[in-house]
Amino acid sequence: MGEQGETGEAITILLVEDDAPTCWRLQDALVKAGYEVRSAGTLGEARQALNGGAPRVLLTDLRLPDGHGIELIREMRQLCPDTEIMVISALGDEESVISAITVGATGYLLKDAFPTDIATTVRDLVAGHSPISASIARFIVRRTQGTAQNSAEPPPGPVLNTAKLTPREIDILWGIAKGFSYAEIASHLGLSRQTVPGHIKNIYRKLEVHTRGEAVFEAVQQGLIKL
Amino acid sequence: MSEIAAKAPTRPRRRLIVSRLVPYLLLQALIVIATILGLRLLQPSDPDDFALSGFSLREDGATRAVTLPHFTSSRYSLADPPLYTGAFTYRRSDAASGWSVFLPRFSNAAEVAVNGVVVLDSRRDFNANRPDRNTPEIALIPASLLRDGSNEITVRLFVWGPLKGFLDTVYVGPDAALRPSYETRTLLFVTLPVVFSAWQSILAVILAIMWLMRRREPVYGVLAAAMVLGVVQAFVPPPVPPAATSRLAAVLLASAPTESALIVMFAVLFFGWRWPRYGALLFAPGLIVFVVGLIAGPPLPRILFLVLGIPTVGICLFLMAGVTAAALVRRQDAASFTIGCAVTIVLTCWVHDMLSVFEIVTNERTFVSRLSYSAMLVAIGAGLTWRFARALNQVDGFASQLVTRVREAEERLKASFAREEERARAAALANERTRLMRDLHDGLGGQLVSIVALSERGHEGATITDAARAALKDLRLVIDSMDDIGGDLMLALGSWRERAAMQLRPHDIALDWRVATPQGLPLHPELRPWHVIQIVRILDEVVTNAVKHARAHNIAVAIETLDGGEGPYGVISIADDGKGFALAGEGTSQTARGLRNMRSRAARCGAAFELNSGSSGTRVRLQLPQVFPDSDAAAG
Repeated sequence: MGEQGETGEAITILLVEDDAPTCWRLQDALVKAGYEVRSAGTLGEARQALNGGAPRVLLTDLRLPDGHGIELIREMRQLCPDTEIMVISALGDEESVISAITVGATGYLLKDAFPTDIATTVRDLVAGHSPISASIARFIVRRTQGTAQNSAEPPPGPVLNTAKLTPREIDILWGIAKGFSYAEIASHLGLSRQTVPGHIKNIYRKLEVHTRGEAVFEAVQQGLIKL
Repeated sequence: MSEIAAKAPTRPRRRLIVSRLVPYLLLQALIVIATILGLRLLQPSDPDDFALSGFSLREDGATRAVTLPHFTSSRYSLADPPLYTGAFTYRRSDAASGWSVFLPRFSNAAEVAVNGVVVLDSRRDFNANRPDRNTPEIALIPASLLRDGSNEITVRLFVWGPLKGFLDTVYVGPDAALRPSYETRTLLFVTLPVVFSAWQSILAVILAIMWLMRRREPVYGVLAAAMVLGVVQAFVPPPVPPAATSRLAAVLLASAPTESALIVMFAVLFFGWRWPRYGALLFAPGLIVFVVGLIAGPPLPRILFLVLGIPTVGICLFLMAGVTAAALVRRQDAASFTIGCAVTIVLTCWVHDMLSVFEIVTNERTFVSRLSYSAMLVAIGAGLTWRFARALNQVDGFASQLVTRVREAEERLKASFAREEERARAAALANERTRLMRDLHDGLGGQLVSIVALSERGHEGATITDAARAALKDLRLVIDSMDDIGGDLMLALGSWRERAAMQLRPHDIALDWRVATPQGLPLHPELRPWHVIQIVRILDEVVTNAVKHARAHNIAVAIETLDGGEGPYGVISIADDGKGFALAGEGTSQTARGLRNMRSRAARCGAAFELNSGSSGTRVRLQLPQVFPDSDAAAG
């Protein structure tokens, strides 16, 4: 089966991964699912590949031989905001995933995920459903608690501004962290099941810090900085 | 031995007393000399060119010639006052200005007539008649009264005790020549006492406020009372006999002995001694004069004042001198020194006045005690201020010392707290490292070894894949369990659900997840990462068994909170629709070991583990404790 976007063309994916076996594995799974995959082993190669046109989806590892995947994500967000971005992570640990989310990524893919899961995740992403794991949700909600309780000392880990999240969004994150399905969360919170993915997309967007100037503006808005 | 020991400290002590007292006494002697010299120098000079001293005195019916200054023989002669008659010569030609009659000193009151017309009556000026003041009087003689040549002047002296009547030399002459002398005397004996009395009244107010704010210290109250008495005595004009309210005058007489007794009491308290009970005797003379003044009419109170009051003042002055000297020896501070010197001055003046009263020293009956008492008031004010300032400094010093001490203590506490924290952190880190080692050894280590073994034996890729996947899964579990979940086991189970679903998906096994309430499980603030890891490993083992051995199609996980009346506890149940354990032919020993492992993990967490397995499936019930144990007792 071939995966196609709205226009009917094949969906293009740029896969940036320096470990060759992992790269093959992911590429195989995605190609088999019908995606058009270009792969790059370094940051430089990835930038070159981008000259040939923006992909629909960017999958990137964070630790690359000539730089950090975060830079690529940031560039990508500025270059073409419509591209969906995902991090490839070995462990799905918060440190790497959260820092990627703050520059514009909307999820992560485990390096050892089963081929069907890889394809499903990418398909959902293109369909506008940003996946979020329980541990990432947990990290975010713990951080919202942390900032509320004692703001004197910043908690360890990547900087994350959760002030923009609404109570509803935090409730959704709690549900995900506790392992509830979207349907269960929707029924607990009195929502329609279909709206939950949209909320999650919003959460990702709110956690994103676009530019330094914007970050300062946000801080002023939220009263973190007094002028 | 003991005798020497007892005597040893007394000798240096005596030496100390002598070394302090002798210079002080020498200084006091100098002050006495200075005071006497001062009194001599301050004696106002009178215009001797216009002195009239030859008078004829008619007293008690007899007339005789006297020379002024003159003391009357009687202490009380209101009925028939002594009459001094004299003469002066007036030349109209050299009378450029008006002439005056000037009385520098008289007691108690005087009425002056020139050529039979009264020109001056001191009884109209209440304060002029007080024997303890040296009020001068001056009066212009109307020019029409003066005759060219000899003129007659008569002075009628009213005496009502307690001392004998006294009339100093009378001066008659041009006003311009007499006025400066009068002004000098007024300044010294009228204006200056008023200034000092004003000062005394201010002191009274300050001390009264001080006492009101610090009731514990009666010393200020005592001094305030003394000051109030002094002010009343100075400002309330005594009525002139034979006025009806002479009782008031009698009562006012009591003020001086009472005031001096109060001053002594103040000094005793001020220098830190206790006021002895027999000290009340010091107030007795004042009280007696007061009571007699209330009951009896004149002249008895005045006589009593002379007999009791004035000696009491003297005794009080001597006591004061003793108290200040003792205080100086003991404390050697500025306050005792200043007050001591002031007391010496007052004492000298008092002796001077006594000599004058008893006519041992013939001066012009100028009393200076009251004036010099002001010196003591200034000294007391200075002493109080000095002590107040010193107390403020001490408070400042104490406060800053306290701040320093508190800061030091804080620093020490901080340091020890930091040390303790460091130690606790090191211990926690060591514990965590031990746990991590054990966890990695239990899971990841074994799985990696098995991968090595499998690949060495040239096994098929699938088996190696399974082992590697298991190793990765375990690594994620270990990492996940390190996260702070704030005692909410549901957060750990949420991640586990994802991992289990991912594990089950390739095997086409459905994971049915049912949570009874949105909260799921009760919160356990005591929950530690090692508890989480043990529970998740049990669940992992159950799921792995279902996949590997039971060939189940569906696994149902139910999470609920129960309450048996002794507080809530959580229960996690996992049921599969496989063929059960007992029927699993191969790997029985492996299953048995797995089962033992699960039981031991549950026991370490204080959880109850139940397993029922039959042909219709396996059902595991893990009942969590109400409180997780804080030490890994069953470990090892």
